[in-house]
Amino acid sequence: MKQFHNRGIPMLVSSSLHVRPSPIEEKYPKLLDSQQALMEMELRKNSLAPLQNPLMSNNGVYGFSLSAAPVFDSDLHIDAISPHEKHTFDAPYISKLSDRNSSLPSTFSLYSATCQPSLNTYPEESAEITWRPESIQGITDYPDHVNLNNQIQENHITNPGDINKQDEWSDLTGLINENWRELLDDSDTTESQTKVIHSAVHVPADFSVQNSQTHLSLPSHSSELSNATGPSSSTNAAPARSRMRWTPELHELFVEAVKKLGGSEKATPKGVRKLMKVEGLTIYHVKSHLQKYRTARFRPESIEGMSTKITQIEEVSSLDLRMGTGITEALRVQVEVQKQLHEQLEIQRKLQLQIEEHGRYLQMMFEKQCQGIDKIKASANMDESSTQLSELTNSIDIREIPENDHAKTDKRSPGAGLAAEDSPQLIDRHKMLKHDSKIESNIVGGSYSPPSKRSRHNYVDLSATPAI
Amino acid sequence: MKFGKRLKRQIEESLPEWRDKFLSYKDLKKLVRLISTTDASPQAEGEFVSLLDAEVEKFNAFFMEQEEEFVIRQRQELQERIRRAAESLRPSEAGYAAEMGRIRKDIVNFHGEMVLLVNYSSINYTVAGLAKILKKYDKRTGGLLRLPFIETVLKQPFFTTELISRLVKECEIMMEAVFPAAEEQVERREREALAMAEQSIFRNAVAALITMQELRKGSSTYGHFSLPPLILPDPDLLQSLQIPSPIPIQ
Repeated sequence: MKQFHNRGIPMLVSSSLHVRPSPIEEKYPKLLDSQQALMEMELRKNSLAPLQNPLMSNNGVYGFSLSAAPVFDSDLHIDAISPHEKHTFDAPYISKLSDRNSSLPSTFSLYSATCQPSLNTYPEESAEITWRPESIQGITDYPDHVNLNNQIQENHITNPGDINKQDEWSDLTGLINENWRELLDDSDTTESQTKVIHSAVHVPADFSVQNSQTHLSLPSHSSELSNATGPSSSTNAAPARSRMRWTPELHELFVEAVKKLGGSEKATPKGVRKLMKVEGLTIYHVKSHLQKYRTARFRPESIEGMSTKITQIEEVSSLDLRMGTGITEALRVQVEVQKQLHEQLEIQRKLQLQIEEHGRYLQMMFEKQCQGIDKIKASANMDESSTQLSELTNSIDIREIPENDHAKTDKRSPGAGLAAEDSPQLIDRHKMLKHDSKIESNIVGGSYSPPSKRSRHNYVDLSATPAI
Repeated sequence: MKFGKRLKRQIEESLPEWRDKFLSYKDLKKLVRLISTTDASPQAEGEFVSLLDAEVEKFNAFFMEQEEEFVIRQRQELQERIRRAAESLRPSEAGYAAEMGRIRKDIVNFHGEMVLLVNYSSINYTVAGLAKILKKYDKRTGGLLRLPFIETVLKQPFFTTELISRLVKECEIMMEAVFPAAEEQVERREREALAMAEQSIFRNAVAALITMQELRKGSSTYGHFSLPPLILPDPDLLQSLQIPSPIPIQ
């Protein structure tokens, strides 16, 4: 389980660091050392994409790590989590998180839902792995994610040693370029290296934060910064690259900047980047985008070429004309089919989202019920509660126990967030709950009211509860 | 499942650069089998998860790259159109019409490509995808991996296809403008359509729709986490376009 926690959950969130943990894992005996090591790695990579740092930083930033702290063996920051705990999490959140050790994703989603927007000082990176990028990436689709970004960054864990530097760092916002230059220059001296490291560490924070700020300041530009470092970035020596999600608005800015600089051939990535003034946009992003732009056909500057093209086409016009009208009809059909496909895909997607939400809802209901049961159990003495519990369990429609190992049960019950470990009845029930879609398939959509059915649904949903 | 496989194969054959971008379902299935037989240790589960993460990463990277290209291209198509429309005063009728025809074709194919990307996202989620393999995992190993993992998946860039959908819609609007209003000539339409359907993009779209229909008809594992049957507004259209696929169903 530990392993799973370790790699699974952060992975679930970041989905990009599966490769990262290995180099980092070895380097994290202590927090500070690890951070240095991390920074050294960064420097070595000579990356101008400081987002790599955020990648490093937030493993377990979120609530799940609070409870899972002891579990992560190879994760960094764990100590750093506790001071952070007081930070910006809502109280109920924290308890929820500590209850549900495992449910990172659902935690995350809940977390996102309850985050309040605010622009506090930026936390530093501890040497933790990517979470922020992931969160940004996942979140920035929705308008309210703008706020979430801020919140999320606030919640980033701060190294205990660096808390005092926090204010200092917030001043560094917007000085990204300079910071990086310093970083590269000062890589020799250890002391300055530390400083630089910190500023480098901070820079990514700025990036992400800047992104959110960008969101706020340019609401029309739904630019998203998704930092998903592929496996390649950690395995080879190439500079760390995070992915930018190019939206039409962002692209528009890009095109404008390119125009101002005299066209895609003349424009340099650096110049374009400066003109665009989008925080969080690295030179690599611009470079690759510019490359793509150059190879795209029908650029504005090729309009001169266009007129020549047209004259050429005129010469073969008769043939084309015949084909043209004939094809139009066929094109219509094609469009029709494509439109239908698209429509169906959208519908399907919505359905899928609804299904998952449904599942989450039921899970929540079940959790509440379990908490109620726990209270009953806690208040009464063991005998009484056992009786009550057995009554409860008997009253609920129990399915036949699947052939799951008891071993599996034991593994999973501790993380279930229930008091399942205590009571044998609960363990039994828990076993039953670890059912698969067979029971799931019996969930009646939308009918939550009937209590007996609900308990069954709740049963089923416990099986869906991420157990660690 | 065979339909999904078939569709995936077809797309991969016609769009070679998409070949390895799909979920390595077979490999993951093998791993699931392995895990289920040798008892699901946390390490095994962790491995499985990291494999899944790698896959998700793969999807994201590919998807976002395509997205970026589409964003660029869409703008170019728009611009191109505007230019052409501006040029329309100068050239003769014939040249203009031919050019417009070319634009239309490009736009339609562009539209198709975007839709296929959305389809790609869907395939990786459902058809031969994450939801399926996770379900299998949970079933085989008694694990409870599905829900939490799916939740993160839902937020991944490759699944959040809103942007592409928006581009598609904008493209459709563009097409409305570009296509002259013409009466429908049914038989000619069918003939042309069949000829058109040979094109890979179009063919993929047809196949995708058909597959979707088949998959949602209901199966042995049909349950409440499954999607309802597909309802097409124009089922005849699809029927008339069915071309026997060169790829045999296995």
